[in-house]
Amino acid sequence: MSQSSTTTEREIPKEIERFNITFRIQHIIMFTTFLLLSFTGWGLKYAYAPGGVSSWWIRVWGGPETAGIIHRVAGVTMLLDFVWHVIYLFYLFGTKRMTINLKTTVIPLPKDVFDVIKNYLYFFGLSKEKARFGKYSYAQKFDYWAVFWGMFIIGFSGFSLAFPMLVSHIIPQFATAWIWQLLSIMHSDEALLAIVFILFWHFYNEHLKPENFPMSWLWITGKISTDTLKHHHPIEYEMLFPDANKNKD
Amino acid sequence: MPYKKVIFFAAPLMVLALLLPMSASAQESANCLACHSSMKGRIKAVSGNLIELNIDSEKFQSSVHSSLACTDCHIKFSDNPHTSPNAPVPPAVLAISAKISKKYPIDPVAAAACVQCHDEIYKKVLESVHGKNITQKHQTDGALCLDCHGSPHYIVPIGNPAALMGRKHQVETCGKCHGNKALNEKYKMEENVMESFEESFHGRKLALGHTKVPVCASCHGAHDVKSVDDPTSPVFGNNRLQTCGKCHKGANKKFIPAITHKLPGPIPYYTEKALIFLVLGVFTFIISHVLLEAFSDIRDAIFRKGGHE
Repeated sequence: MSQSSTTTEREIPKEIERFNITFRIQHIIMFTTFLLLSFTGWGLKYAYAPGGVSSWWIRVWGGPETAGIIHRVAGVTMLLDFVWHVIYLFYLFGTKRMTINLKTTVIPLPKDVFDVIKNYLYFFGLSKEKARFGKYSYAQKFDYWAVFWGMFIIGFSGFSLAFPMLVSHIIPQFATAWIWQLLSIMHSDEALLAIVFILFWHFYNEHLKPENFPMSWLWITGKISTDTLKHHHPIEYEMLFPDANKNKD
Repeated sequence: MPYKKVIFFAAPLMVLALLLPMSASAQESANCLACHSSMKGRIKAVSGNLIELNIDSEKFQSSVHSSLACTDCHIKFSDNPHTSPNAPVPPAVLAISAKISKKYPIDPVAAAACVQCHDEIYKKVLESVHGKNITQKHQTDGALCLDCHGSPHYIVPIGNPAALMGRKHQVETCGKCHGNKALNEKYKMEENVMESFEESFHGRKLALGHTKVPVCASCHGAHDVKSVDDPTSPVFGNNRLQTCGKCHKGANKKFIPAITHKLPGPIPYYTEKALIFLVLGVFTFIISHVLLEAFSDIRDAIFRKGGHE
């Protein structure tokens, strides 16, 4: 970006980096631990009767003791991954490696609401135009912030349930009568939300959609082709290559 | 060969030796079982109760009590045939049988006879909330030995998966009374105990076959079980510091309210409702969006080929 004076002559590259190696590693840790947590937690959530499907499923994961250990280790790893991500963001902003730009930010904006409405109108055939996105579509922003919500609700409650003595020190006396029940309800209900969310939203948008099937490889390469960028993130594309259209004219 | 001749003496002796451990008691049991293992139906006792007099001798032989003689517990029935059972009963047994005769009108002596071997435990039971209910309140629907452990004729070791008070069946056994609405109302007991245990982490892990998770008696005590309002109960107030601490090292005052059989209070209840509302809201959005988008993609592929974009 420092050579902005040469952009006019710069050729449009075939692909650009969308996620650097740090983000990619954070994503890999996130989904690995997410899958482990979902698989082991699901077995406990519906374990009401002995000898049911849950018992079989938990035996697949090494029995209740082992599944419990897997769940705790994966949970702590995921929380550390999240903390790492937040610290890394602070570092990026602190060193000005990342700045807030309305066209590239992942922060939800009023435009996202209008984009949703626009797309629904398009789905129903009431509009001929789909929404145009910057670096992150509302679907991707939703995906991203869902993790934050999950970390605060499921992460905190899970940590409290796994290390109750440690957390009990910060629990006020008046809350002790209901907080534990509240924490397990929060953990269980929101985990269900997270799993269904990932199953429908993330899997459809990033895996099942015809244009992405079976998946976009940028979670490994970090690269997005400028063609895809132009197609799916036109506002970002135009910002990065402002002269691309001019050349055509 | 002199050795061969020895066998003719030894063999019958060896057979006799095999019979030795099968002492008088076993032979006597066999005598009783000759009739009592082939009786069908139940008979009406003097009190009007229908009683089962048949014993499944195979099941009895594999129980822990198989080596006892019938008359070890049915003390009064020493004559055969027992027309007027009236054998002398040890005073310790007699004292207990007098206290529990309302619950066991047919043969209170047999129900009290457990004390002859299980002396300490029986005394604990009589001091427990279950025992006092029978000896002091003279109720007949409360629990005593057989209500929890099943028939003494078929009782198996606690480690046996079939044991009624073993890990596998204990919750269900206690639930016969504690999950019974009429009894819960009669004795003003906590009504939600079975449901809340099943819902709890303890209950779910038990269902999954966890080997260390607690069952009823792990926290409430077994033979010396107390009312939750009794200050000596292991689950009364701060006694839980120790009780929970058996498994949860460092259990403190803020932790011990975590496990309760009470229904969720208003805060968890309404939070759950709010969370369900949120979950349904999100589901509606994402599922409708995914489906509509998929349909519109199909529509575009068929009807709007080479359209805009």
